[in-house]
Amino acid sequence: MGFDSISNSSSPLPPFSKDLAKKKRTNRSARLKQSKLDVRREQWLSQVKNKGCEVDSSGRGGSPPSCMQIPHMQNRLVETSEMRSREEENDNSSIHDSDLESLLNSPVGSSLDSNASRKDHPRSSSSTSSDCCSRSLSEEEEDDGCLDDWEAVADALGINDNQQNPISEPPVKPEARIGSADTELPKRSSGVDLLKTESGGVVPISQMNSRAWRPDDALRPQSLPNLSKQCTFPMNSERHCHRAIPWAWKSTISQPSSCPICCEDLDLTDSSFLPCTCGFRLCLFCHKRILEADGRCPGCRKQYDPIHGDVGFNTGATPFKIGRSCSMISRS
Amino acid sequence: MQASRARLFKEYKEVQREKAADPDIQLVCDDSNIFKWTALIKGPSETPFEGGVFQLAFAVPEQYPLQPPQVRFLTKIFHPNVHFKTGEICLDILKNAWSPAWTLQSVCRAIIALMAHPEPDSPLNCDSGNLLRSGDIRGYQSMARMYTRLAAMPKKG
Repeated sequence: MGFDSISNSSSPLPPFSKDLAKKKRTNRSARLKQSKLDVRREQWLSQVKNKGCEVDSSGRGGSPPSCMQIPHMQNRLVETSEMRSREEENDNSSIHDSDLESLLNSPVGSSLDSNASRKDHPRSSSSTSSDCCSRSLSEEEEDDGCLDDWEAVADALGINDNQQNPISEPPVKPEARIGSADTELPKRSSGVDLLKTESGGVVPISQMNSRAWRPDDALRPQSLPNLSKQCTFPMNSERHCHRAIPWAWKSTISQPSSCPICCEDLDLTDSSFLPCTCGFRLCLFCHKRILEADGRCPGCRKQYDPIHGDVGFNTGATPFKIGRSCSMISRS
Repeated sequence: MQASRARLFKEYKEVQREKAADPDIQLVCDDSNIFKWTALIKGPSETPFEGGVFQLAFAVPEQYPLQPPQVRFLTKIFHPNVHFKTGEICLDILKNAWSPAWTLQSVCRAIIALMAHPEPDSPLNCDSGNLLRSGDIRGYQSMARMYTRLAAMPKKG
């Protein structure tokens, strides 16, 4: 009887503990998710008031990722905002100009060029876009003077501040600073001093700036959330919309490695062969077979241009390739 | 010949890889002949064909993909653009609007779209087309639903 009662009492334990473990697991994942959400929420909240971050960064919140990330993120945001004030004109305009230039300079579909310029672009646009949102943030921060919670942090960090500023200034943005760096630096330090005297709360932020990472910095920890990712997407689509150069994005987006009709690999001649304005690519062999049949583009079902059909290959090919493909036609 | 085989083989691999991509379509290649395929498609929701599973037979010509595959319903279906006895389908992309860029998978999708949006003005099934053309939507739907239940649903019992 006693044994029975013991076993009875112990029997419900295993399922219970299993339940517990399960609960724990779900709790953990939920907490992880929650902490991610928290980070995002804090960002928005910090635009209104800075107090929310303090609670987390003191580390008692029980969500380690968030208390790691929040200070960093703020650093980065404010840092980029300061950078923006310096280079918003020249950075923005120069990048767009150079991009446009490269597009204009290569009127024939040299996909290499457009690829390169494109590769550059998302990063720059992302940094500027993150600057956009961060600028308003920092402005609001500086406007409201009630940052009493940061004072404790300010005191703690105040010791290191003076050494860190000169050391970590260079890695912040080594490039694109040729003209402005010398003139801007004193202005900035004086601004910091001014803030120091005004309210201790802003000081740690502006000084931690110098330690922040740029999105493309090699030293930047992987664990940092990539804000620019969220920002780039709309920018990208916008870019595609208002830059209406059809061949440019077609050459980068729809460049199949094999012919969609016969599934043979596209060789160099094939991949520079653009028989239809709709951008549908196929190999020369299939193109010829289609011309022998009904002669309509598989992509848009429009009749292939008869001139293109006979001579072919004018569009999107260098003169050398035209010659070669012509000789192929005459032989066949 | 060689091209069609290579193309079908690639489509086969594509189908194997993306089995879960489209749960409404199940494309199966004949074990011994890559030019014979069968497909199982689910009747689209909010149509009289909802809940039914319809079998299609594909006969792929050797000139594929320059020529369209021949597709017909093996399952009886009451639809203005499907022949009630033979299962022949009247669909532009299977005739003059075919493009080599289409695949067997996309043909299945087009057929599902045709089931949801019948074209009563070019009927293969005159009864069904007449019901729709005379505005008897209810009559058409109940007939179609009846045949779906009879032919395209597992027998209960």
